[in-house]
Amino acid sequence: MAGLFTMAKKEFLDIIGEKKFLLIFATLLIVVLVSTFEGGLSYSSSQSSTVTTVTGNSTRPGDGGGGTFEAFGSAQSLSRSLSSMITNFSLVGGVLAIAISFDTINNERQKGSLKTLLSYPIYRDTIVYGKYLGGLIAVALVATITFLAGIGVFVSVTGLALTMDTVIRLLIFFGVSLIYMAIFLAVGLLLSIVLPLPSTSLLASMIVWLSSIQLIPNVGYAIAQILYPVRFSLANGRPSFATQAGFTTIRAIISGLSPSTAYENIVNSILTTSQLQFNSGSPTVISINVTQAIATSLPSLIYFVGLLIAIFAAAYVIFTRQEIR
Amino acid sequence: MNAIIEIKNLTKKYGDFTAVDHVNYTIEEGEIFGLLGPNGAGKTTTILMLLGLIPPTEGTAIVNGADIIEKPLEARRTVGLLPEGAGFYENLNARQNLSFYAELAEVPTSVAKERIEKLIDMVGLGTKRDVKVGAYSRGMKQRLGIAQSLVRDPKILILDEPTQGIDPEGTRDFRELIRMLSKEKGMTIIFTTHVLYEVNKLCDRVAIMKNGTIAGIGTITELRKQVNATEGEDFEDVFLRYQGVV
Repeated sequence: MAGLFTMAKKEFLDIIGEKKFLLIFATLLIVVLVSTFEGGLSYSSSQSSTVTTVTGNSTRPGDGGGGTFEAFGSAQSLSRSLSSMITNFSLVGGVLAIAISFDTINNERQKGSLKTLLSYPIYRDTIVYGKYLGGLIAVALVATITFLAGIGVFVSVTGLALTMDTVIRLLIFFGVSLIYMAIFLAVGLLLSIVLPLPSTSLLASMIVWLSSIQLIPNVGYAIAQILYPVRFSLANGRPSFATQAGFTTIRAIISGLSPSTAYENIVNSILTTSQLQFNSGSPTVISINVTQAIATSLPSLIYFVGLLIAIFAAAYVIFTRQEIR
Repeated sequence: MNAIIEIKNLTKKYGDFTAVDHVNYTIEEGEIFGLLGPNGAGKTTTILMLLGLIPPTEGTAIVNGADIIEKPLEARRTVGLLPEGAGFYENLNARQNLSFYAELAEVPTSVAKERIEKLIDMVGLGTKRDVKVGAYSRGMKQRLGIAQSLVRDPKILILDEPTQGIDPEGTRDFRELIRMLSKEKGMTIIFTTHVLYEVNKLCDRVAIMKNGTIAGIGTITELRKQVNATEGEDFEDVFLRYQGVV
């Protein structure tokens, strides 16, 4: 497609030259570094405490002595220890993607450069693909630097051995994070096409982001609570709260519609290497391999990718049919 | 001379409002053609239809042998446009902006490099070529807009209100540039303006638009004749007669 890479290159240079981009990038990098450092410290302490509590042995992670228990320690702690990195990524990563794309088209229209652009012998597809690709490269750059730095800090603090299994899980984590940012990039692009003013599309994009991180999960909780209220009772003089089975399901379905919740669910599933189950009161550790982890998060993954395609397709169709006055 | 643009029954409607109403005329190769009219007369809509930016409701146009509906990309390939209030990428400098447009027009890199430097000098931005466009004044952006419209070395140049925001010296430079492009390169130049003095000084032929229709078309002398203008009446009086004001 003629002009696609020219368009993407220009867009990328335009984005990385902006102060707002550098500001949000720096913020993301700092929060990720701080959270992985904290996560690393908590991982290290959880390793020793887990081993002590469960085994009663002096086995330490990495010495090969307590295979099952070591798996228990590293299993849950990896996703838990990186949980604040995941949360920060879902918060700041979304903002960064929106900041890049909220004025992609309407700013061109307002500045008067869109007419100039369209007077060149290129298809409109080239403009929308090129602009999105340029934004995606900028986002990928941010995600790569942030990830390498974050994981680097985590590994140096914990001394975690990077096995093939861990590397694959981290790469999937990276890929899912990229798709997550790509979704918000597409949201910004769509709103910049539909809404005439950058200020309006910024506001609308922020509302979408807020809905994703706060409103939809809260609505999920509220609806689940209405349909399957949490039951309160007094057993032996002690208060007891019992959730009904439907509550969790309804809450998970509605909350899962939010890209942020879906992202956190997928990443947590991918980073969980084992699960603790209680059979006849005794704890048993069941290890979860990468394939099983992917299978667990597959519905969310399909929804995630489908959402990205749907938003981008809407942006594409609307832009290619729009009259430029 | 051959017709380089043929406008055939071109019409654009927005609901009940007709912006351009069954317009027919031709523009000859190498001529300087002025499109005159008050705001809302249909000048910009006509230009945008010629470039395929908005689809006509009825009719079509042939631009350098290509139908604007059937082959919009071919039609655009030989046209340079300076739109009204043209904007640029403010984080990039003049050279980077022009390089981007040259790449889009598939101008070979070696050719583009030399052409861009020449164009920047030609429009008087030589000392500002490495300054980010965000720091440019409106007049400087307009000069850069002219350079942008020429970066693909077009056969047809369309300028929508080209002297808007340019100081008197810049306006004079612009007129000289238009004459030079027409004379030395044989470029066909179409421009819309409110400045009747420019039309009088530059145009071989003029079309006067009113409410989406062509109220009059021809050379200045022909237009004067059509409304029986007296010796004492200037072109402004002639224009107002076509608008039905006097």
